[in-house]
Amino acid sequence: MFAIVAARPRRALAKMGALLASSAMILSGPVAAQSIDPEKWTPDYVRSIAGKTTVDTAAECAKAVPLDYEGQVDYWYVGPNEANPELEHKMYADFWAAWEETYPNIEVNAQNLGYNDMLNKLRTAALGNAAPDVARLPILWGSEFAAKGQLSELKPEDVGYDSANFWPGAMKSVSLNGKTWGIPTNNETMAFIWNAGIFEEAGLDPEKAPDTWAEVVEYSKQIKEKTGKAGYGLVARVNAGNTPFRFMPMVWGEGGGALDEASESPTYQDVWIGKEGTVRAVQNYYDMYVRDKSVPVSALTNTQTENQDPFLANQLAMVIAHPSEYATMLDRANKATGSDKEAAMAVVNNMRYGKIPAGQDRRAVVFGGSNVHIFNPDNVEGDLDMEAAKALVCFMTGPEWSTKLAWVSSNPGNTRGFETEWMKERLDTIKFLDVSTSMLPSGIPFPPVAESPEIMNIIIPEMLQNALTEKMTVEEAVADAEKKVKALLDGM
Amino acid sequence: MSKTHRSEPSTRGFFGRIADHRLDYLYILPALGVMMLVIAYPIYYTVYLSFFRTPPSLAMQDKIFNGIDNYITILTAESFHEVTINTMVWTFWSTFMAMILGLGAALVLNREFVGRGVLRGLLLIPYVISAVAASYIWRWIYHSDFGVLGAILLQLGLIDDKLNLLDNVDLVLPSLIVVNVWKEFPFAMIMILAGLQTVPDQLLNAARVDGAGAFERFRHVTLPHLKGVLVITVLLLFVANLNHFTIPWIMTGGGPAGASDIWITQIYQIAFGRIRFGIASAYSVILFGVMVVIGYFYVKALTGDDDRRHG
Repeated sequence: MFAIVAARPRRALAKMGALLASSAMILSGPVAAQSIDPEKWTPDYVRSIAGKTTVDTAAECAKAVPLDYEGQVDYWYVGPNEANPELEHKMYADFWAAWEETYPNIEVNAQNLGYNDMLNKLRTAALGNAAPDVARLPILWGSEFAAKGQLSELKPEDVGYDSANFWPGAMKSVSLNGKTWGIPTNNETMAFIWNAGIFEEAGLDPEKAPDTWAEVVEYSKQIKEKTGKAGYGLVARVNAGNTPFRFMPMVWGEGGGALDEASESPTYQDVWIGKEGTVRAVQNYYDMYVRDKSVPVSALTNTQTENQDPFLANQLAMVIAHPSEYATMLDRANKATGSDKEAAMAVVNNMRYGKIPAGQDRRAVVFGGSNVHIFNPDNVEGDLDMEAAKALVCFMTGPEWSTKLAWVSSNPGNTRGFETEWMKERLDTIKFLDVSTSMLPSGIPFPPVAESPEIMNIIIPEMLQNALTEKMTVEEAVADAEKKVKALLDGM
Repeated sequence: MSKTHRSEPSTRGFFGRIADHRLDYLYILPALGVMMLVIAYPIYYTVYLSFFRTPPSLAMQDKIFNGIDNYITILTAESFHEVTINTMVWTFWSTFMAMILGLGAALVLNREFVGRGVLRGLLLIPYVISAVAASYIWRWIYHSDFGVLGAILLQLGLIDDKLNLLDNVDLVLPSLIVVNVWKEFPFAMIMILAGLQTVPDQLLNAARVDGAGAFERFRHVTLPHLKGVLVITVLLLFVANLNHFTIPWIMTGGGPAGASDIWITQIYQIAFGRIRFGIASAYSVILFGVMVVIGYFYVKALTGDDDRRHG
């Protein structure tokens, strides 16, 4: 399997004896891995392991569910829509064609639902015992259904894979109360993106990203003073996932947290939001927005979407965004006309990707992605065909399709996918993919508790707004948020 | 048949009267059934749910009965008082300004002049534009960094820095009220214009002959005739504004720091952001109570003339 484990001496691996012998039936890579070494996981390393392994998905899944199994499964997912690139549509079409070839006797009723519609539809369906058998959900959603007892237990071993082949952060996101409720399908982290042209104008090294959050504050100030342009694309809108996805890396980096999700063994019972690290992170935001005025004034109502225009117009120097941001900017630049197009293309050529900056404590980033879940038989419509559901889950979480279905905007949840020829092809064709991929070991998932959406999308953005509008001091805003999180966990 | 029954009021009891009118009730039974299903049941269930605690970690069937705790939590929360003040400011000023502008526009359009039809069509545009589209357009007009309004004022030299309306706790609510007034003053205009056209010309001419000036004719002849329309329009706008969700939600999401949060956005956020259907239901029941009071005055205003006529 794979070199996250490859760092482990072969002699030590040999001692794993029977365990490895059994897993070797499934794991076809060069070596088996038990942990991921963040220091080793560099862009060069990601490239070095790609293309080393071949995979036979049908043979692997046949061990979990026979290929001639007859059954039916209802499946909901957030798939590509008209805004997604043609390539993504093709991958999904290929997936279904390959599925029908592999399991010709299992009928799948698949519904591709929009991201904004799916959660409430699923809540309603589960309440009315009309949930689908299988659903692939964004990483933060599953815990709510697990907490309500609406999911079946499901772990990689149930479909023939090894939990060690999935990112530890991803496995945390499907764990609740000591049990596992799903399998990661794809995972990604965001990257730090800057405009080398504006850096040069401001007298900064155009090829060097700020390495720490303190440097981001300094760079942002210098850019504003020297060029009059906004430095960092701060976003602090309430009820928008963009806000915590960009703020929490700073909080974790400085040593804070919401709960104890950044600790080695999180319990999700301890409240960390009142820690000094959180205060430092809010202070960084305050310094940029209030003291230095080096970020967009509209930050309190902005999401990253609103930052794309000023970035492309050469008016904003630094943002945090998905790996696919380069493709998005290139697409938008190509659609521009006249002198606008020329200017936008110049910005695209000046785009640089780097790791998310580190804080005083560590380097961290939000671990994103999706997980697949099987619903509780009591909550689905009709009878749950568990074997058919497992066959589908096995097929989509294997190294092949977890890589191909994540082609444009994510990465395989099954880390064996990184060794495949398809991963190599992705690295050769998608610019900066190696940089954003190299951040995966630093990824921390949001707490997999039912209260997470409220903490991340409301309490934390409100804390920022209270400080940035000077309704409260930084310390008061953090203390207020701590009080709210504690009350929330106490069931108030 | 039913006519006969109405003209001869029965002295029998409640059920007896229903029996007398059984055919009438049969006619309205389907409509009554639909109303029970789509109006009465949701109201009942909302009131019922308002007495339960529904934390996001619990399935709905496991909800916990907590009496009136949800109401106490809402009414004693500091945020409730802030949001209530915002709601009152939003509702009062939106209604008041829409009425003033609507009245002015209606008085202008009630006179004969070239291009009156075109002007009336233009003034109706805000009312027919989708509220969602209008919110996005105004969000960009107001945008604190790249808004058209700020750019124009800056170029005219009227301001020397970026115009911060939506990201400013003091200016965000007045800015949203301006958008809301722009959106709904045509409704007031149309209602009042219709009322103005019922004012008898003879009375106005008689007042003019008696030497009454324009203001006196308006005050002593036009305004008394408009009273009913004005009251109903105010009540309709008041209710619409109290329930208005689209503009504040899309433009600011209730921010910054809750400065544009009103009851209805707060209810939505509690229900679907915090997944607290119990508290959101209690909040909705409070809002419903306010609506019922306003509804009473609305019905009274509608039937007032009839009552007076019937002595």
